[in-house]
Amino acid sequence: MPRKNVIRKSTNATPRYARFWPHASGYLFVLPNLVAVAVFLAFPLIFSLYLSLTNWELLTPPTWAGLANYVDLFADPLFWTALWNTALFTIGSVVPIIVLSLLSALALNQKLFGIGFFRAVVFLPLVASTVAMAVIWMWLFNTDNGLLNWLLSLAGVEQIGWLTDPHWALISLIIVSVWKGVPLSTVILLAAVQNVPDRLYDAASLDGAGVVRKFFAITLPMIRPTIAFVLVISIIQSFQVFDLAYVMTNGSGGPGTSTYVLGIMVFQHAFRFYEMGYAAAIQWVVFLILLGLTYIQLRLSRSAEDDL
Amino acid sequence: MTGSAAPRAHKHRRRKPLTLALGYLALTVLATMAIGPIIWAISGSFKSPGEVFVTPPQLIPSSFNLDNYAKVFEFIPLGRQLFNTLLYAAAVTTGQVFFCALAGYAFARKKFYGRDKVFLAYLATLMVPATVVIIPQFMLMRSLGWVDTIAAMIIPGLFGNAFGTYLMRQFFLSIPQELEEAARVDGANQWQVYWRIMLPLARPALAVLTVLSMITVWNDFLWPLVMIHNEDISTVTLGLLHLQGSYSTNFPVLMAASVMVILPPVIVYLFAQRAFVTGVAQAGLAGR
Repeated sequence: MPRKNVIRKSTNATPRYARFWPHASGYLFVLPNLVAVAVFLAFPLIFSLYLSLTNWELLTPPTWAGLANYVDLFADPLFWTALWNTALFTIGSVVPIIVLSLLSALALNQKLFGIGFFRAVVFLPLVASTVAMAVIWMWLFNTDNGLLNWLLSLAGVEQIGWLTDPHWALISLIIVSVWKGVPLSTVILLAAVQNVPDRLYDAASLDGAGVVRKFFAITLPMIRPTIAFVLVISIIQSFQVFDLAYVMTNGSGGPGTSTYVLGIMVFQHAFRFYEMGYAAAIQWVVFLILLGLTYIQLRLSRSAEDDL
Repeated sequence: MTGSAAPRAHKHRRRKPLTLALGYLALTVLATMAIGPIIWAISGSFKSPGEVFVTPPQLIPSSFNLDNYAKVFEFIPLGRQLFNTLLYAAAVTTGQVFFCALAGYAFARKKFYGRDKVFLAYLATLMVPATVVIIPQFMLMRSLGWVDTIAAMIIPGLFGNAFGTYLMRQFFLSIPQELEEAARVDGANQWQVYWRIMLPLARPALAVLTVLSMITVWNDFLWPLVMIHNEDISTVTLGLLHLQGSYSTNFPVLMAASVMVILPPVIVYLFAQRAFVTGVAQAGLAGR
């Protein structure tokens, strides 16, 4: 009894603020982040939903439009062109990214002298500005003086109008996007490959399995969750393509509509035609598509995290 | 048991020369594809306008003079833009690191009601892609009167983001609890425990976040494209875009400008490669 009292007394003796403070300081520490994310991200996101239900040409006050923007959007042939181009770009980028990054992760996982150097070089495109790389690739793609056409001419291939021929323009964007996307996937896949326990390979060696057999029987099943995860983040990133398309086509999505992707469409409607409501509607459609993809990704990332 | 060491050592016996050669061949092809375009750009940045049209194209330029680099500064205010971009990157990074570390620590170690729920909600904001909110963000900047000001380039990024906080939280979770308790017993207050004990221990994670943030801000394009029109406060990526728009066929000068835009992040990368790659692997996991 007396003992209990002592404890009680000492608790009561601590000033009120001291019991309150541990909680309060926790809130205070996270407050700047939360306020900033509410103001600069959450509020704009909700606001754009409202925006998409209005006609707003920036200089005049918004007028309520209901679902008119969405109705117009689905009737707009250019929207379907943009969606189709974006889907083509995404599929065209993601498949080579997965295959090539898997191969490069395996190559970089070799225990060879100088492997650190090769890793550093292969990961380097990660830090190179997309805008600068777009400018550099535009020279490589140049029809008359580009390195690519010269290399192809050695093999007897006729000049290709990489960025001037509507059949090739989207493929050219895909090439650059693959070049830029492989290192990111490689970093993640390499980490997964390195985490496959050695004893599995040892056991397989004892059973006489060769390199190819080991890859299909051990490596691939072990890193499958990570591959699935990398697949989805590559899809999400490719679907948002903008920088590359904007720089390489001078903001037009041309030639014709051959590289007219959703990112370009949003930008043009918002910042060229000042149709803020319509552009916001496109963005919400994009957001819902991406949200669906993210949902898949979240389910996969849990297993990928176990994998790493 | 000592016997088991022998076969183990045997396993790492020298590989067959053919396997070794194939391994290096694969790595060389890979490395060439990765930095070939950049090497070609560096080579082109030294070429004279006439040299660009020579067939077959030469990898080694006839001279290594810096004419094209000098011309970039005549055509666009790149010096100013380099300075601006560095300023934005430094300011945003300082704020990001400070606030992400603070919040990451609180989410890892502080006890407050609803902590983990708040953290999950915060993490969910990673699902909002930058390209999706650019219009309402532009409207917000416009109503604040920040369009075409330095404020638009610095303030929105200054208070941290969910990814940086996630990164710091994961790191603080890995630091043993005892250190903190020992400091508290010694009479350190809440802030001292964090600032003097915990933050210095988090140096590796702070390095990762610093490097990632610097490079992200440096390479940013969509945000400055939408927010900035005034050349005095524009960034290197905008400068390069304008150069490309006005001198689209002057390849040597374009290459010189591109090389200068790529170079600072590459230098940071070469010095902090491990931190950067760790960060990227974790960014992938956080769903970026």
